[in-house]
Amino acid sequence: MYRPEPDRDSRQWWERLAGGEFAVQECDACATVRFPPRAFCPACRTEAWRWRAVEPEGTVESWIVNHQPFMPGFQVPYVVVMVRPATVPGCLVYGGWRGERPPEPGERVRAVRIRVDEELSLVDWIPAETSERADIHPFDRKSSH
Amino acid sequence: MTNVAKRLLEFRDRTAIAGVGYTPFTRNSGVSTLTLACRAVLAALEDAGLTPDDVDGLATHRVGDSAPPTLVGPALGLADLSWHLDQFGGGSVSHAVVGQAALAVAAGMAETVVCYRAINARSEFRMGGTGRGVPASPEVQYQAPYGFFAPPQQYAMYARAHMLKYGTKAEHFGQLAVTQRANAAKNPRALMRTPITLEDYLASRWIAEPFRLLDCCLETDGACAVVVTTRERARDLRRPPVSISAAAWGGGTSHLSGAAADPTVTAAAALAPRLYAQAGLGPGDIDVAELYDCFTYSVIVQLEDYGFCAKGEGGPYVASGATSPAGELPVNTHGGFLSEGYVHGMNHIAEAVSQLRGEAGDRQARGAEVALSTAQPGYILPATSALILRRA
Repeated sequence: MYRPEPDRDSRQWWERLAGGEFAVQECDACATVRFPPRAFCPACRTEAWRWRAVEPEGTVESWIVNHQPFMPGFQVPYVVVMVRPATVPGCLVYGGWRGERPPEPGERVRAVRIRVDEELSLVDWIPAETSERADIHPFDRKSSH
Repeated sequence: MTNVAKRLLEFRDRTAIAGVGYTPFTRNSGVSTLTLACRAVLAALEDAGLTPDDVDGLATHRVGDSAPPTLVGPALGLADLSWHLDQFGGGSVSHAVVGQAALAVAAGMAETVVCYRAINARSEFRMGGTGRGVPASPEVQYQAPYGFFAPPQQYAMYARAHMLKYGTKAEHFGQLAVTQRANAAKNPRALMRTPITLEDYLASRWIAEPFRLLDCCLETDGACAVVVTTRERARDLRRPPVSISAAAWGGGTSHLSGAAADPTVTAAAALAPRLYAQAGLGPGDIDVAELYDCFTYSVIVQLEDYGFCAKGEGGPYVASGATSPAGELPVNTHGGFLSEGYVHGMNHIAEAVSQLRGEAGDRQARGAEVALSTAQPGYILPATSALILRRA
């Protein structure tokens, strides 16, 4: 598996994820939300911002089924989905697919937290209607303001 | 008309490509990228009827995988280059390198610039990550942990988005692969010359659905170079000159994490109007197109974004036969990256020059006077580049 290397823009985001929170940045000046973490708001070009925990939901825009191991640690075939988050519609995120069937075009999905260890969690996706399963963990829905 | 536009009109057809050169395309060159670069530069100069002593500029692009002008210059005994460019970037900047050389020549910074791309993309530095690990980019941390980072995966993701939105079919991708292989069969330089059928395409193994093996370009060792000089000087040289009518780069926002409005639109959609305005031409004036084909789908989306058909109609446009040698817009007459070889864009420019000179042999497009050649359309770096060339 590839372990992400947080940088000075992203470290807090990864720390919040490891703590069970799915957060994006919200601009103090114009309230535009953005991902991935960056110092400047691309809408009003100011720096002040705060974290905002959001509902980790979205819709499936596309997916691929990988039939060769592009890196060690992945068993083929494996599915990667491209999701448009409901709360950050100008952005796309990618993650593993944990549904028990293939994704469907435009379907509503929610994020699940994959806890790798104390310091690292990742984000995979399942159909929104999936009932509780022993092997998947929802994100905390608490606010972080 | 703005002042900027007037200045651009002065740039139109001021410069020309006077020579092209290649090394053989192989799976293992057995030599360094420095050696490949020197061989291609010398071949392009020979083609133009020039010598290394005529060269006062060198330009390339690379992603940490090749020899820069500061190595190639001294290796060829070029003591004092008055201009050089070592552009960071992959296929999206391939055509910007030639555009910037044309700017340098038009401005008088240099008179004879050789642009080259030299790669051992099979035996040393494989773009897909195999054997070199994950590229260093802040975007990677949000994707690679999910086993998602290689170009065939990224393009497959956008290809499916296009299929879902517009009904683009595997058979459309397949027809491109089949036609380009047939073109390569007429190209002695091409690595893959055995014809394939649509059935062969559909039976080829999955790489990352919706992409099969035959959706993906080759990985190639080789180099290609072109000589850029003034049009006046090119007229006095050995070969028929091909003028640079327009050169543009830029055009987009990232399709990786963040800022992607529509994954079925590339940077080319924003760039194309600037490119055509600079040349004073439109899509209907293009006789032959050498379009960046890292994957079959990239051709389909560019046919739309460069205005040859409506958005979403790229698949049916290919199915109509329009892009075949007998069609209204022959595309990738050399076989492209899919079948000739992958030299990251420079071989598309060189093929356009051969077509406009009327020297493409069995694969010559009829009446080729104006050509479009394009770079990676901006899905991976948020920019692309392109040239319009014409018989001078």
